[in-house]
Amino acid sequence: MIEMFKEWYDARHEYAKEWKEKTGGKVLGYFCTYVPEEILLAADVLPVRILGSHEPQDVTEPHIFGMFCPFCRDCLAQGLKGRYDYLDGIMIAQSCLHIRQAYTSWEMHIPVPFSYYLPMPNHVQSPRALPYLKAELETFKKAVEEWTGKTITDEDLDRGIEIMNRNRRLLRDAYDTRKAADPPMSGLEAMYMAVSSQMIDKTEHSDVVEESLKELQTRKLETPTGERLIIIGSEDDDTTFIDMVENCGSTIVVDDHCTGSRYFWNQVESNGEDRLQAIAQRYIDRPRCPTKDWEERSRIPHIMNLAKDWNVSGAILLQQKFCDPHELDIPIIRKTLEESGIPTLFLELDVTVPVGQFQTRVEAFLEMLMEEDLF
Amino acid sequence: MYVAGIDMGAKFVKVVILDDGEIKGKGMAPTGFDLDEAANSAFNSALENAGIQKDDLKHITSTGAGKKEVDFRNTEVTEVGAAAKGAISLFPGSRTIIEVGAEEGRALRSDENGRVLDFVINEKCAAGAGAFTEAMARALEIPVTEMGALSLKSAKETPMNAQCAVFAESEVVSLVHSKTSKEDIARAIHDAIASRISSMVRRLSIEKDVTLIGGLAKNIGFVESLKRDLNMDINVPDDPDFVGALGAALVARKKAKEG
Repeated sequence: MIEMFKEWYDARHEYAKEWKEKTGGKVLGYFCTYVPEEILLAADVLPVRILGSHEPQDVTEPHIFGMFCPFCRDCLAQGLKGRYDYLDGIMIAQSCLHIRQAYTSWEMHIPVPFSYYLPMPNHVQSPRALPYLKAELETFKKAVEEWTGKTITDEDLDRGIEIMNRNRRLLRDAYDTRKAADPPMSGLEAMYMAVSSQMIDKTEHSDVVEESLKELQTRKLETPTGERLIIIGSEDDDTTFIDMVENCGSTIVVDDHCTGSRYFWNQVESNGEDRLQAIAQRYIDRPRCPTKDWEERSRIPHIMNLAKDWNVSGAILLQQKFCDPHELDIPIIRKTLEESGIPTLFLELDVTVPVGQFQTRVEAFLEMLMEEDLF
Repeated sequence: MYVAGIDMGAKFVKVVILDDGEIKGKGMAPTGFDLDEAANSAFNSALENAGIQKDDLKHITSTGAGKKEVDFRNTEVTEVGAAAKGAISLFPGSRTIIEVGAEEGRALRSDENGRVLDFVINEKCAAGAGAFTEAMARALEIPVTEMGALSLKSAKETPMNAQCAVFAESEVVSLVHSKTSKEDIARAIHDAIASRISSMVRRLSIEKDVTLIGGLAKNIGFVESLKRDLNMDINVPDDPDFVGALGAALVARKKAKEG
């Protein structure tokens, strides 16, 4: 069952096209996980996250400055190459300027019937953020109603919330299995599971996660666990890299990525009254992206808890080249982890992963963790 | 008890044979395209040098970029691990070890047992490594082996930016056009590499003693530039390019003892 997630990941475009044919529904591509999918699901829209393909490309140079992160350029390249030609709409929630540039370039050069910029507040720690976001969600809901021609009722919103919450609960359960001394799934498999949830009909995805959880109860991996690692960074679906790290004698047991745990960590706590307020609260409270984690650095204790609860012996910090918000957090994350006896390895990612060079570093890092006294 | 360490570097294969901790033989061969042939050639010359047969060896440990390509290895160790063990055995006071080879510059901090505490490795460009001096020597039309001595004749600082090996070469061309002397250009090149290496080492926070190993440590001009930049004395062993192989041999010795 668990192989399904990789199949979905590999065939994400075919899946979306077939979904459209089958349901006659609309597909919306989104650029950032602060997009409130609950409202889209309430209108029976399929939200899919726009991600890169990790291939060198030469089409974004006229549109995005070379010193913007490789991820935002890779995303735009997918649009310019026509790989998302089935989209009926695109949207972004404000996070960083780099990915917003990908969104605005897409809007300009690859026009779609619906495009929406949601001004998600950056200062989520302010008490004014909640009423602000709630008001923005009301406007957004109206825009979706206008686009789809469908009125979104309270029942629709409840359905959207429950579809999202169920998927989040199940993914948390799947991550919990990795706390075991012998995790029943590899970090690569967990990555495919989490990131495919951003591409597939949520209910269908949840059903397969539910089935997989049964399988995981008795599953044993063929390779020994080795060093237990946490990976930390922005978006990360560098499967080649993860595979290499795990083949060097380690298992990635948990992550802090927006393609991973940050995406599904917390639920919408709805009391059946003010639904939009409940949704807004969820996005204000979720494990933060560093663009929004100011002035208190709430990410740090969260990461420390993950490291403790999943019992990691080392941390790999994966940085997208030129990603300023994450760069700002790296010194304090490294310091805090290392003061708690968790060594860190810092690596900077470009669109393609230089596996040979990274492997040298990863092997040396793991050798260091094993603390083998060689004399 | 004989053991061997083999360091499959990007440009050269180096082999060290130990007998109870004493160096008994060394061998070296250019890496080239045929890794098997290079490994065998360096290995056989080390055996000959030590006056022993392959069967006399209890354990062989490989390291270096091509460490997995050595069919006859018993175990392998990373370049960083081998550098720490090798340098500590030569200079027990080493706490910061800098290694500059043909394609990579590395720095690591080690405890007194040769256990790696932290490390950094240069990024994509080879501008901070040995291949860069070779390219620059070609631009100056002098043998790379003469670069070091030549640069020591210069007493002048000439700013140069070695962020990229290709751009740096065009900078050298500009210096040639502005009639800068070869001595001054040679020094500018070593200063630029030293500056790049130092800035990488500073990411680790430097703890004394500092030991420099790797092929580029044979270049006295570069060693001077690095000392000047770090503003401290640096240990340099006699055969700095064999330290990785020595470290691997020490790992082999431990493995052989463990049985």
